[in-house]
This record gives sequence, structure tokens and C-alpha cells, in this order.
Amino acid sequence: MANTGNVTVVAEQLQGDLQAVTFELIGAARMLAKKLGVGVSAYLIGSNIEPIAEKLIHGGADDVYMVNDTQLEEYTTLPYRRAILAILKHIGEPPPIILMGATTIGRDLAPRVAAYLETGLTADCTELDIGDYQHKGKADPLKVGTFNNILYAIRPSFGESLKARILGPWKKPQMATARIGVMEAVPTDSSRKGEIIKVPVSFEEHDFRTKVIETVRDVSKAVNLTEAKVIVSGGFGLGVMEGFETAVKELASVFPDSVIGSSRKAVDAGWIPQAHQVGQTGKTVRPNLYIALGISGAIQHRVGMSNSKTIIAVNKDPDAPIFGFAHYGIVGDLYEVVPLLKKAFLEKFKTKGAGV
Amino acid sequence: MVFIKQVPDTKSKAGVNPDGTIDRARAKRMLNPFDRFALQKAIELKKENGAEVTCVTMGPPKAQEILIDAFDYGADYGILLTDKRLAASDTLATAYALSALAKYVGGVDIMITGLQTTDGDTAQVGPQIAERHNVPQITYCESMKVDNGKVIARRVVEGGHQKLESTLPVLITMANSAAPLAPKRFAEVAAVKEFLHHPEEREKRVKSVNLDDIGADASKAGLVGSPTVVGKTWKLGELGGSCVMYQGRSALDEVNELAEQLQKDDRGIGELING
Ligand SMILES: Cc1cc2nc3c(=O)[nH]c(=O)nc-3n(C[C@H](O)[C@H](O)[C@H](O)COP(=O)(O)OP(=O)(O)OC[C@H]3O[C@@H](n4cnc5c(N)ncnc54)[C@H](O)[C@@H]3O)c2cc1C
Ligand SMILES: Nc1ncnc2c1ncn2[C@@H]1O[C@H](COP(=O)(O)O)[C@@H](O)[C@H]1O
Repeated sequence: MANTGNVTVVAEQLQGDLQAVTFELIGAARMLAKKLGVGVSAYLIGSNIEPIAEKLIHGGADDVYMVNDTQLEEYTTLPYRRAILAILKHIGEPPPIILMGATTIGRDLAPRVAAYLETGLTADCTELDIGDYQHKGKADPLKVGTFNNILYAIRPSFGESLKARILGPWKKPQMATARIGVMEAVPTDSSRKGEIIKVPVSFEEHDFRTKVIETVRDVSKAVNLTEAKVIVSGGFGLGVMEGFETAVKELASVFPDSVIGSSRKAVDAGWIPQAHQVGQTGKTVRPNLYIALGISGAIQHRVGMSNSKTIIAVNKDPDAPIFGFAHYGIVGDLYEVVPLLKKAFLEKFKTKGAGV
Repeated sequence: MVFIKQVPDTKSKAGVNPDGTIDRARAKRMLNPFDRFALQKAIELKKENGAEVTCVTMGPPKAQEILIDAFDYGADYGILLTDKRLAASDTLATAYALSALAKYVGGVDIMITGLQTTDGDTAQVGPQIAERHNVPQITYCESMKVDNGKVIARRVVEGGHQKLESTLPVLITMANSAAPLAPKRFAEVAAVKEFLHHPEEREKRVKSVNLDDIGADASKAGLVGSPTVVGKTWKLGELGGSCVMYQGRSALDEVNELAEQLQKDDRGIGELING
């Protein structure tokens, strides 16, 4: 089947701020589009969004389909669903691939649209690619065939130490949501030009069955695990809740752009809020430096952090699985190691005067 | 109506291979942990609004265990949808079958699912059921109440929360930061399940149905109704590779050697410290 349309990204904006995940998705879409020999489209939905449409072009999109309507000021499921359907109708033929972020918006909206279109959707992908597929399974003869240039939606098969490649070549669009922080954006280029297409939408009364009464976002309090350069994480090996203060925060204080992470077992123990959790049911992160203190490195933790550039683990068990994929490992009691590590870091690397 | 699923119990050693993969035949099974929050919400609505709580699940005959268990917490009815033709359903096909079941039961004001499952792990089935019913949805719900025929709910968003109002009927997916399932009240459990010993009463409260019973279109369920397949799986190999280990000496020596090595390997630690 010829790929007539562009690889498509549904952009995510909050109060006119395009979210980082959108540019990550455009980066991934560019790679897919190159393999398919097509371009990249972005769908932009909201109110007062005209000023930001161009940023999507600068970030790598070739064109932007925009639904700009005052009734789309805040995200609610049904009006945004209607806007996407309006764009799809405007375009006529569904694009080959639609990508959304695995955020509280993307995971709300994508399944709704996929169910409407009765097409496949793969959740929380960590890798995307293009390839061929031959379906031989006899159980459903209608599906048998060879399919070229289809979407490979790859995700860890959770609860098991497997990765799975999910395919849906029979229907268009092929849809996927991708985790925040795993795809790579392309560098912004403000000289890029592209078309911005305004698409009208007509709502139905029942699109407004849900109303937002109030939204409280405290960005300063938000635990920004996905954007931090350094994450110092504590696990069950801390033994006590206070360990987050005396060891984890203590070590993190060395790094100005750092955030505290944790394993799920430390969260389940009530030592730290879930927002800090890294892993399968927490956040996927890839900081420059990840320091794991008293974390065994179970597969569900590993899938969330193994792409970190440098991983240092402190664990008293030399056979802890984390030493199987960390770059540097210290076998020892974290409470003994941490103060020494802090001191060594400051002595070796700190150039600016203390307290400056 | 609460949608609950039976999943492999990864905490129990039974059926979990040393490498972390699951031997489905031997694995112990349990209620999907995320669905505990959904069940709790339904029980609260029963107390606050006098709602009747029907738990539904799609799975093999054994999945009836979790329906029976739910009576201990206060559920009123349980329905199992079981059919060989449901095998290999992806989320679209699962949501189709479950929504056909909900339509068959009829008169449902509030549908509640967990956020996601620990085996499928997609968080898609809830919204896809809502789409099939053409009803609004509130996902990532932390708390909610029914007031004057409307639902007022608190929803988690990145870095905060949202207060929403929605009409009925509605589909809610409960976040795992919602109220946890209250313990079974053991004194009452035996009495609650007394009906199990009376075939007629049991028949009324726990049912097992197949696709034909609920008038579902088998071509939209199971393998044939699923637009996706798992093409290939592979082990997550050892990543990062060779870990440089420091052990067997004094912690001070180990730490100093590590710091030196980090410098030699040009890992950019200085920039991270000096900002
Ligand atoms: C469906 C599902 C989803 C999950 N999702 C996640 C997830 O998102 N994130 C996550 O992290 N986990 C998740 N888990 C849980 C995961 O399987 C592990 O149970 C968890 O990661 C273990 O946490 P831990 O390493 O802190 O604890 P443990 O496994 O108990 O490890 C503690 C480690 O600390 C070491 N230690 C003890 N004392 C000291 C000391 N004084 N100094 C140094 N080291 C010490 C021990 O040697 C041990 O290796 C999930 C599980 C399931 C089934
Ligand atoms: N087979 C099933 N039977 C009943 N409910 C299900 C089933 N599969 C999924 N669900 C519901 O849908 C939610 C999301 O599941 P999932 O999309 O698989 O992550 C779960 O928490 C359940 O409430």
C-alpha cells in the first residue's frame, strides 16, 4: 500500500505552551517519515494558538493543521475528539501514522479516537520504527499477507522482562502513544517554512457534557523527573523514610539541576510520594546522571531509567541486578558511601567557591 | 458497573521464571491491583447514593474467582463474560466485548474501570468502552461524588489536579492515588456469601455469559476483531554493559577511585555540579 499521507503528531499545548513531548514526537516522526519518504504533519488544537503554530514547523513539522476555537480553551475529551475528527475529515484520507504523547491528555484522547476509527493503538511506546511484516497466522485468514513499510510500535511487555513489537498493518491510521522523555527532538530551526492550515469545527451540544470547574497546576511543585539533568534515587535499601533526607537529598544537593527519584517499593512503603517514582508504573527518565541508592534494579525499575547517560549504583549486595546495567557500581552500605561520595564529588569537580 | 480483571500475580513466586518472565499456566492469579481503586469507589457510591454494584470481568472461567471475592467488599452482582472466541483480544476488541456486555445489562449510570492493568498495561480499555457508549469520560480520577444527577470529580493532571463536572451516564477510570480498597469486613463475609450455597440465589447474583447470550458480534471480538498483533518479542538484554565495580576495599578508597575514573572517562560530572 502506498503511503499517501504524512506521519502525524497530535501536538499538546497547555495555555499556549507547547509541551516538550510534542517536539520529541516530531523528532520520532521525522525519522519515520524519512524511511517512508513522506513528510510530517502536526495537529494543533486549542484557543488562541495561532502564535505557536509556527513553532511546530521550526521543531520539524512540514505543515500544521490547526483547530482554533474559544471553546477549546481547556482540554476536555469530547471537544478535542471532535476537533481531531474534523481534521481527519478535512484531509479526507487518514494518515498512515498518528502519534500522541503518553500524558494524561494523550492517554485520555488517543484511545477514544482509535475506538471511533476502529483502528489499532499501541500504548506507551519506548521505540518506534518502520519495517515489513509477514502475517502467517491461519486463525484469521483475512489478515494473512505481507505488509511493507508499516509502523513498528515497540514497548516493554510489562511485568515480564520482554520487549514487544506491536503491529497493526490492516487499518489506517496506525496509532501509538509514546512515553515522555524517550524520543529525541530535532534541533529547532527558525528558518524552516511550512503551511498552516486552519480547519473549521462544528461542535455538537453533547460534546460539552463535561466542564472544567478549576485546574490547579503548581509547576514549581511538580516533580520534573523527565527534564532533570541529574536524578538521585532512593530505594527500599534506605531502610527508613529519613534516608531520603539524610542520604538522597544530601547527595542531590551537590547538583544544582537535580530531582529526587525513587523505586516503587519506597513509594509503597509511604516514604515518598508517587510522583517521584521511576519505572514501569512511574516515569521514564534519561538524565545525564542517575545515581541509584539501595535499589536492586528490578526490571520494572530498569525500563524507566536504563537510557540514562551515566548510571552509578550503590548497593551492599554485589549480586544486585542493578550492577548488570549500571556503568559504575560501589558495593557497600549507602549510609557509609554517600557522605564520602558527596565529599569526593565536591573536592574533585567543584570549581566555583562553595555557597556561590 | 465496575470492570475488573484477573491478572498474573507477580509477587508470588509461583509461575514466575527466574528471568522474570511469566509461565501463565503456573502463575497464581489475582485481582488487577489498579482495579481495587475502582471497586472501592463503587462501594463508596453504594453507601453514599444507594447504588447497586455490578462487577464484570472478561476472561477464562477461573476469572469468576475475583467476582466472588468482590462480594466480600460489598458488590451486589457479578457477571463473567467468557467465550473461546474472545481469545487474543487487543484493547479495541476487549472494549467492544465489555461494552456489549454493559449494553446487555442496561441501565448503567456510572461505569468504573481501573486506570490500567498490570498485564495489558495500556489504560485504553476504559476510554474505548466510553467511546462505544458515546458517553463522557473522566480518566485519572482521584475522587468523585454524585450530586444532583451530576458527577463532580477530581482528576490528576501533570503537576496538579482538575475539578470537573459531568453529566450521567459517565465512564470513570480511577487513578492509583485514589482511596485504597478498604479491608474486607470479616465478621460479615460469611453472611454476605451465604447466597453461594443456594443455587437459585447464586444464579441471580453471579452469572456467566458468552458472546451469543449478550448479542455481541463475534467478528468484532477476539483475534478477528483485533486490529493489532504482537509481531515479535525479545528479551531485554543486558544494557549499559560492563559495570565498573568498586568493592572489597575501604569505602573511602572505593569512592575516590570512582571519582577519578569518572574524571578520566570524561562523564561531564563537573558541568553537572557547577551548573
Ligand atoms: C506491575 C508492576 C509494576 C512495577 N512498577 C515499578 C516501577 O514503576 N518502579 C519501580 O521501581 N518498581 C516497580 N515495580 C516493583 C519492582 O518489581 C521492585 O519490587 C522494586 O523496584 C524494588 O524496589 P527496590 O529496589 O527499592 O527494593 P528491593 O528490591 O528490596 O531492593 C533493595 C536493595 O537495597 C539494597 N540495600 C539494602 N540495604 C542497603 C544499604 N544499607 N546500603 C546499600 N544497599 C542496600 C539491597 O541489597 C537491595 O538490592 C513494579 C512491579 C510490578 C509487579
Ligand atoms: N478483561 C477485562 N475484564 C474486565 N475489565 C477489564 C478487562 N481488561 C481491561 N479491563 C478494565 O480496563 C482497565 C484498563 O485496562 P488496560 O487498558 O488493559 O490497561 C482495567 O483496569 C479494567 O478496569
